[in-house]
Amino acid sequence: MLEISSLRKVYESPGRTVEAIRSITFGVGAGELVCVVGPSGCGKTTLLRCVAGLLPVSGGEVRVDDVPVTGPPPRMAVVFQEYGRSLFPWMTVRENVELPLKEKKVPAGQRHELVHGSLNAVGLGDAADAHPWQLSGGMQQRVAIARAVAYQPQVLLMDEPFAAVDAQTRADLEDLILRLWRDLEVTTLFVTHDIDEAVYLGQRVIVLSSSPTVILEDLKVDLPPERDQLTTRSLPRFGELRGHVYRQIQRARDRR
Amino acid sequence: MMRVVRLLTLPAALVLLWWAVSGSSFYLPSPGLVGQAFAETWFSERVVEDVLPSVGRLLAGYAVAGLLGVGLGVPIGLSPRLRATLEPVLEFFRAIPPPVLVPLIMLLAGIDTPMKVLVIVSGCLWPILLNTVEGVRALDEVLADTCRMYGVRGTARLRRFVLRGASPQIMTGLRQALSIGIILMVISEMFASSSGLGFTILVFQRQFQIAEMWSGILLLGLIGLTLSVLFRRVERRVLAWYYGSGAARA
Repeated sequence: MLEISSLRKVYESPGRTVEAIRSITFGVGAGELVCVVGPSGCGKTTLLRCVAGLLPVSGGEVRVDDVPVTGPPPRMAVVFQEYGRSLFPWMTVRENVELPLKEKKVPAGQRHELVHGSLNAVGLGDAADAHPWQLSGGMQQRVAIARAVAYQPQVLLMDEPFAAVDAQTRADLEDLILRLWRDLEVTTLFVTHDIDEAVYLGQRVIVLSSSPTVILEDLKVDLPPERDQLTTRSLPRFGELRGHVYRQIQRARDRR
Repeated sequence: MMRVVRLLTLPAALVLLWWAVSGSSFYLPSPGLVGQAFAETWFSERVVEDVLPSVGRLLAGYAVAGLLGVGLGVPIGLSPRLRATLEPVLEFFRAIPPPVLVPLIMLLAGIDTPMKVLVIVSGCLWPILLNTVEGVRALDEVLADTCRMYGVRGTARLRRFVLRGASPQIMTGLRQALSIGIILMVISEMFASSSGLGFTILVFQRQFQIAEMWSGILLLGLIGLTLSVLFRRVERRVLAWYYGSGAARA
């Protein structure tokens, strides 16, 4: 569904050239959930913005459903890290979720169903008429997730979506993502700096090196498909995988 | 009730002070005399002949400046290249005190209504334009990315993102322009005019109708106050989200 091949990104400004991504190749199959993890400053966000078509690549290419990405693809949704800045403060929660559907010319009846359904799915059915700034951080990120879900994307990208919420909220949101992903069977690429989160959520974990970035490892997560905050995280295998990824990232840091 | 008392205390004290010092000079008549002159002068056909045309020209000039300022400010704010080229020039024009343009505009547009409206436009335009440019330039990048990802483009992007996002700065520009507009309304009528508030006040002064002159100044103050109260109301509505989110952040 999502193919990234020899992707390279160099930032060029007068008198300064920074190679952010050297070469990245991997694929995400239809309905798969893949996590990308790497040390801080390793170009995770750059990678995601290239995949989303928000940033032109310097080499290689990204394909969605076999179509090369040259700008934001029509059936791709993103949940940004900065939930406080990705929702329109002058619109209500409902209007925020509905706006992309209006632009997609979804008929009114179906639109209302989608908005209603997705807000209920994230547990915000009652907050439809509130403004984003009246909600807590975790709830704002739920709105952003509802907006992405209502958009009915083929591919869902998430850029460290839970980096700025507290631990309890974070666990709730992780389970929410797992549930939505399972229900909707949407192809998901989840970028995070949190190793536990990557192992807990992903079917595969892609470990990135520091910048200029290459892939250190494409790791299959052989944990039972049903994940649970308590039981999954206390499995011996969870600890092994987590330790393995941790060592990889540690080495990547040292090599710098 | 307490609020009304608090609101009226200082004005009442000022009128008392005025009353106490009045009479010491021919040029400072008592509040009673000015009040009487006010009623006689302004509750008459002067409202139709002088006040309404003045306010009408002010509103017309203000509206034109608003449309031009926002209409030009949005594309300039959106394009870094356009901005780099135009901004020094715009700052220069903004720095010219608008009253000095009156003689020039008189040469170009005559001495009638178009000249007066043009003077008001020439002064009101700059704060609106420059604030719009600034507001559009500072639009949130994450929201811009959100628009791109979710296919919000064209007029929807303009209406729902660009104009709304820049609206706090646009309103700041409009507020500054309103006070400039009132000043220019009066000044434009003091040059080669035969009607209007500014003209009338000047005539009273030349004819030593001092109480009447004061009543005109009082009327100007009241018009300015009314307009700014109305503006406040509109602003509160348009920017409700802005004040709300500011309070939530604090």
